[in-house]
Amino acid sequence: MTTTAIGTHLLTHRYGSHAALSDLTLDIREGEIFGLLGHNGAGKTTTVSVLTTLLRPSEGTATVAGYDVKREPRKVRAAIGYLPENVTFYNDLTTAENLSFFAELSGLRKPGARISEVLEFVGFTGHDRERVGTFSKGMRQRVGLAQALLHRPEVLFLDEPTSGLDPEGVRALRELIVRINDEWGTTIFMNTHLLSEVTKTCTSIGILRSGRLVHHGSLADTVGAFPTDDALERAYFASAESDAA
Amino acid sequence: MSGVLTAARHELLTSARAKSPYMLVAAFLGMVAASTFIGWRTTVTVSAIYDRVVADGLTTQPNPFTDVSALYYVRNTVIYVLLIGSLMAAALGVQSALRDRKASTAALVLTRPVSERAVRAGRLLGIGAILAILVVVTSVVTWVSVGAIVGHALTATQTLEVASFGALTWVLLMGFAAVGVASGMVFPRERTALLAPVVLWAVIAFVIPQLGTAARPVSLLNPVPLPAQGSGAFGWLSQIMAPFSITEHFKTASAALLESPYTGSAVASAAVVALFTLIALAAALVVRAARIEGGSHE
Repeated sequence: MTTTAIGTHLLTHRYGSHAALSDLTLDIREGEIFGLLGHNGAGKTTTVSVLTTLLRPSEGTATVAGYDVKREPRKVRAAIGYLPENVTFYNDLTTAENLSFFAELSGLRKPGARISEVLEFVGFTGHDRERVGTFSKGMRQRVGLAQALLHRPEVLFLDEPTSGLDPEGVRALRELIVRINDEWGTTIFMNTHLLSEVTKTCTSIGILRSGRLVHHGSLADTVGAFPTDDALERAYFASAESDAA
Repeated sequence: MSGVLTAARHELLTSARAKSPYMLVAAFLGMVAASTFIGWRTTVTVSAIYDRVVADGLTTQPNPFTDVSALYYVRNTVIYVLLIGSLMAAALGVQSALRDRKASTAALVLTRPVSERAVRAGRLLGIGAILAILVVVTSVVTWVSVGAIVGHALTATQTLEVASFGALTWVLLMGFAAVGVASGMVFPRERTALLAPVVLWAVIAFVIPQLGTAARPVSLLNPVPLPAQGSGAFGWLSQIMAPFSITEHFKTASAALLESPYTGSAVASAAVVALFTLIALAAALVVRAARIEGGSHE
């Protein structure tokens, strides 16, 4: 019997009078890889920002790893790893120096061994003394994933993790995400607008449209409802059409 | 506490890798060298003229530089600290505050289990360490260069006065660095963040002293503090504006430390400078950051 890793109830966030996220109710179980799909501006990043304590919810409740994001933000932060979209890091510092800073902020003392372990896990050994400013987008994403894993988070948030990567980079990162989940049992919450990413990586999905969740279910159930090659695409647009109706 | 120290170490490391601190060192050392050179050149020139005038039998007055303090040569440094040092410290603060935005790492820092204020306090501590190193280096250069000009080592009292002037300089620079940090937090655009401390500095260095003294702007570039007007509108304006004339207070306290003439209380002036820095530090710690990638809601 698994427990809830991420739970929200009628979660709402407004920027002024504009509701970027409305009445989101979710139950993501421990060990899942959850993919939040949606068009640009659907509210995916706002959702992650609220769940990672960067934004305060306007209404509703949310718990991550059993902690309330409003009342226990620091405990939430201790339990999560986060890889935002387009992170570039401190260009003048080396990989090890960048990771050391984030590890120490996470409470790790003398994090050298853990940094080596995580860099090996993400397949990025041999670059620890190189300056991050010289890295490609794909290399930075690996460093980004490493920083998110340093403190062994229970829940990992990834915001458009494959954005801007070449096909090889996309596949490598996808394999890494599955390995993190398989080997460490980390619950993963992934934002994306790429249906193919969800099909190949996630165990459950949610579809967000204009700030509202229009579909939530396991990948198998969703795809099962549309038994064709383009099942998820059909599910996505069917959700959108039913929402519009 | 560990979050504060981690952020302080990070500030030192990132600043050491960037170019700005080296430019700051070069500018400060250049200022000190220029200051002592100008003082020395002035003495040599005036003394040469004096010797000629005495030879021509035109005066029996003593050489005006005969009894001048060795610290006279440091006097111009006061104005360089106010003109260049303050602005550079503010720029250092702005760069520190904007670093996470430029590197898109604000969200990474804000999702760590440390308070945003602890990280900010650490960054200020790191800036304080950088400025302290700069002030120590320039004080040593001052001590050596003035000693070389006057032909003997400075006395223990004069050494202490140079060190005290360095400490006062550090306090003022920390104030402007904190103003820079606060500006960087409030204004997400780099140009605006850099411009705001410059405007504040101009108001403190020029507008406020003028309101209380009717001084010409060029006279405000003199290291000698301006005497306040005792009567009329400028009299009461001077009283109202006195606490805000931070640069004039810095000049007064510096003049006392560098054995130069001044009016008013040097201790009170030093206290005003310290109070300015404390207020600026508090503002840098409590000001709410503009939302770029989302601010911590803690």
